[in-house]
Formats: sequence, C-alpha cells, structure tokens
Amino acid sequence: MWSYLLSYQSLLDTVLVFSCIALSQFIALRAGLFALSTAGFVAIGAYVAAILLTRAQLHPLVCVVAAIVGATAVGALLSLPLARLRGHFQAIATLAFVEIVRNMALYFDAFTGGARGINAIPKVVSSLHLVAILALVAGLLTIIGRTSIGRAFDAIRQDDTVARSLGISVARYHTLGFCLSAAIGGLGGTLLAFNTYSITPEEFGFPLIVSAIGAVVLGGRNSVAGPFAGTAVLILLPEIARPLADNRILLYGAILVLAITYLPNGLVDSLHLRRRNKAAGRLSETTP
Amino acid sequence: MLAQQILNGLVSGMVYALFALGLTFVYGVHRVLNLAHGAVFTWGAFAGLYCVTLLALPLWLAFIVGMLIGGLTSVCLDFLAFRPLRRRHGDELATIVSSIGANLIMINIAQQLSGAQIMNFPLDIVPFDNYRVAGLLVSLQSVVIVVMVLLLVGGLAFYVFRTAFGAQVRAVAINERMAQLVGITPARVYFQTFFLSGALAGAAGVILGVSYNSVSYFMGEPMLLRAFAIIVLGGLGSFLGALIASILFGVAESLAIAYASTQVSDMLTFAMLFVILLIRPWGFFRGLHHEHRRA
Repeated sequence: MWSYLLSYQSLLDTVLVFSCIALSQFIALRAGLFALSTAGFVAIGAYVAAILLTRAQLHPLVCVVAAIVGATAVGALLSLPLARLRGHFQAIATLAFVEIVRNMALYFDAFTGGARGINAIPKVVSSLHLVAILALVAGLLTIIGRTSIGRAFDAIRQDDTVARSLGISVARYHTLGFCLSAAIGGLGGTLLAFNTYSITPEEFGFPLIVSAIGAVVLGGRNSVAGPFAGTAVLILLPEIARPLADNRILLYGAILVLAITYLPNGLVDSLHLRRRNKAAGRLSETTP
Repeated sequence: MLAQQILNGLVSGMVYALFALGLTFVYGVHRVLNLAHGAVFTWGAFAGLYCVTLLALPLWLAFIVGMLIGGLTSVCLDFLAFRPLRRRHGDELATIVSSIGANLIMINIAQQLSGAQIMNFPLDIVPFDNYRVAGLLVSLQSVVIVVMVLLLVGGLAFYVFRTAFGAQVRAVAINERMAQLVGITPARVYFQTFFLSGALAGAAGVILGVSYNSVSYFMGEPMLLRAFAIIVLGGLGSFLGALIASILFGVAESLAIAYASTQVSDMLTFAMLFVILLIRPWGFFRGLHHEHRRA
C-alpha cells in the first residue's frame, strides 16, 4: 500500500508546487485584482532562487528568502501604476508584465542561460518540506481572509465604489494584494525550480497563466481549499485518463470555458454553498 | 536606411491596424476583451494557406476565404464562449477567463492540424517586383498591402459611422438596454461586430502569412500582445486611435529591431505600455462608447 502511494510521490509534489502558484493567483483575485501577473512572479522567484543556488552556492533557505523578497519588491513596484487602474487595464498590463519578464530571461543570457534556461538545479526540497510550506501558506491566507484585510478584499471585489464609501483605500489594498500575490508566486517559483531540476523561459508564458487561473476558477475563488482542489483536478485528470494527456491543453481550455460559465463559484465554493443552503433549509423546517 | 526602416514600419503598422481594430471594435461596442482574437487571426491565416496549398485557389480568393473563416470563427466564439456568460450575467473577469480558455482550444486545434509545423506559401505566389521611389525600395507587395488595408479600414469606418446598421452598433456601444428599448436587437449587433472583427483578423492573418511567408499555430500570441499595447495607446474602443497607434507602433518596432534586437524591441513595447498606463490610462483618443449626441 505504502509503496504504491510512494510511486505517486512526484505527482503529489507537482500538485503541491502548482497549488502554491495557484494560491498566488487566488489571493490576487480575492483582492479584486484582474491580475494575470502570477506567471511573472513565479518566473522571478524561480530565476532568483536557481541563480543563487547554482552560481553563488548559497544555502537553499537563503535562496528562498531572496526569491520571495525579490518577487515582492517587483510586485510592489508593479502595483505603483496598476493599483490605480481597474478591470481590463490591469489584465492587459499584467499580461505585458509576464511578457517583459520572459523576454528579460531570454535577453540577459549571461545570468539566465537564455533560451536554454538553467539546468542541473539540485533538488533540495522534499515532499515533507512542500507539505509544511503549503500548510503554512494556506494557514496564513486563511488567517488573512478572516481579519479586516480579508473583509476589505471582499468589499473591494464586490463593489469598489461601495468599498471606497466605507472608507477603504482601494489603492492601498490593491498594493497589498499585489505584494501578497508576488510573495507567494515567488515562493512557488522557488519550489518549482528546486523541484524540477531545470527551468526555461518558455515555461513561464501563457500556459502557466492558464494553469494558475484555471486552477482557481475550477476550484473556487473564495476559500483557500479551492486552488488546491482545482490544481489537483487539473493535474490528476490527465494522469487518470491517459487519452486526455495528449490533449492536455485542449482539456484545460474546455475546463476553463465550462467552469466559468456553468460552475462560476468553483468546486469547493459550490459545495460550501450547497451545504449552507441545506442547513438553512433544515432550520426553516424546524422553526416555521 | 532610416527612411527605409520607417517605410517598412509603416507597412507592418498597417497590418497591425487590421488586427487591433477588430479587438478595439469588439471592446468598444460590447466591453469584451477578447483574448482569443489572436487565435481567430491564426485560423484566418490557416484558412488562406490551405486554400492555396490544398485547394490550389488563387491568392485573392484565398484572402476572401480567410476573411470569411475569420469572421465565422469569431461569431462561433461569441456563441460558445461569451453568449452563455451574458445570459448568466458573468462579470468582466469571467469573460476574460472564458476567452483565455477558448484561445487555448483554438490554438491547440491549429497545432494538431498543422502537426506543430511552420507552413509556407508557394514561393512564386506573389511577384517580387520592387520599385525605387526617391531612393527608397518599395515592393509591389507593400503597396498592395497598404491599399488593401486602407480599403478595409475605410469600409469599416463607412459601415460604422455612415450606415443605418452602424448606427445600431453605435447605439449598443453607448447603452445596450436603451438600444433595446428603441427596437434594436442586440443579438444581431453582436453577430455583426464579432463577424467584422473576425474578418479583419482573418485578413490580417492572410496578409501577414504571405508577407512573412510563414504560417504557424503560435503566430497569434505575439500579435495579441502587440495589439494590447496598441489599443491602450490609442484608447480602448477608439478607431482613429487604434489606426494611428498601430502605425506609430509599427515604425517604432521596426526602428528598434533595426538598431537593437527583437527582444529589446519587445521589452520597449511593453515598457511603453506601462508608461502610458501610468500617465494616461484612457489613451489618447476617445472610444466608441464615449460618443455623445451632437447638437
């Protein structure tokens, strides 16, 4: 039984790494941002960590911290123009941001290895590390969601005019959202680099944007469990049904279109809603 | 050298204009940011190429087929990806996500159709005639491109601003509900805008496929990113803005590629996008939905 489960360990690792990336997208959407910048933050985190580990031979923990700090700094910088913008403008600008990061990785090949990327990165994270890190991040996001920050995020997401009339500084919370998304994305990038032995600029383009936003949309945008569920389904589905694996991109696209149309709350949040409605129904039966 | 680069940039800017106009048109009328526009462009190019290579049709016919396929693809896209969302009152994010998904599906189909190969038109499909005008090298091809683009853009502008159908489109752009009250069927307007925007994208696809002589499933993505920079520069939803911004953009890009490198040019493009968003996020021209009744 255990050996059977262990043979799927690398799959579990992949799910955890991509859950971290999905959480970066999750917190951005939670904060009411139209940001597709996660792939850019992941790329920055991955490159900073990989360069520091392979070239400077620093301790992995130092690399992780540096990657998170670097990505957060870029996120804060990015939020300067973007926190004032709304909707579609943010989406366009963040797509451009991802493209800038990818082009920089291609251009500065003395540091980044150009199109070949960085190879032979030692695998310094174990499954245990991943579980612990993800538990930490998920716990942190849950706590943030329950404080006044989370409530401010919800207000801004639902209607930023109302939020402003309640005295919430939308630009400040958007900046915070960008920084949180960047920090978690940078962490996700580090985990990706330390888990997969090699990184190339091509990994951080459109497909990564899609898998991040797909996981959140499919899983659910309100509870922290959503991105985990979404990532697990997106990664495990092609493994279970082999014919789907050849058409993974097609499958992701179809899931994205169908989920946003017919399951707009996502798997986890829909379950929550149903349970709550049932409980409410029982309540109204007993107290007529 | 400098003047030659500016001229080359002008021609590629004209093609960008075809692509960007469709994107900004749909945004201006329906506030839909269609991230699958690049895939429509790709399908148009594919249709044009297959007409020439498989069906051995003449290029002008392939061009028309490319436009038709582009338009029909775009209408199907609206039906399958956006219409169900409209009925469920999906928000802005939902439309973007849905168009990302649709883009993925269409690109994947194109990839499997072409076997992930870069395809070419037959070499002798366009005559290589060059003229020397005031010391500049002007190819017959670029003259034809400029004339065709001007015709198409002029046709679209005439349609939108000078016909009864165009008045309906503009009415929906200003206020869809009010337009319904005066007897306009929004569904028909959606059909028209998506068809026209797709047809322009298909035309751009065939023209670019012929002039670079390469058609591939990934040709849409860089176009889409450029078009974003263009339509933000020109003001989301603005015709004139998109046209002027495309030409400026084409010239700037061709200069950056000539004097630096492709990657530098790409980075400059997107850096410029950020600067515009920072200082003037509404762009330099007003969109269709800002139109006011003139006395």
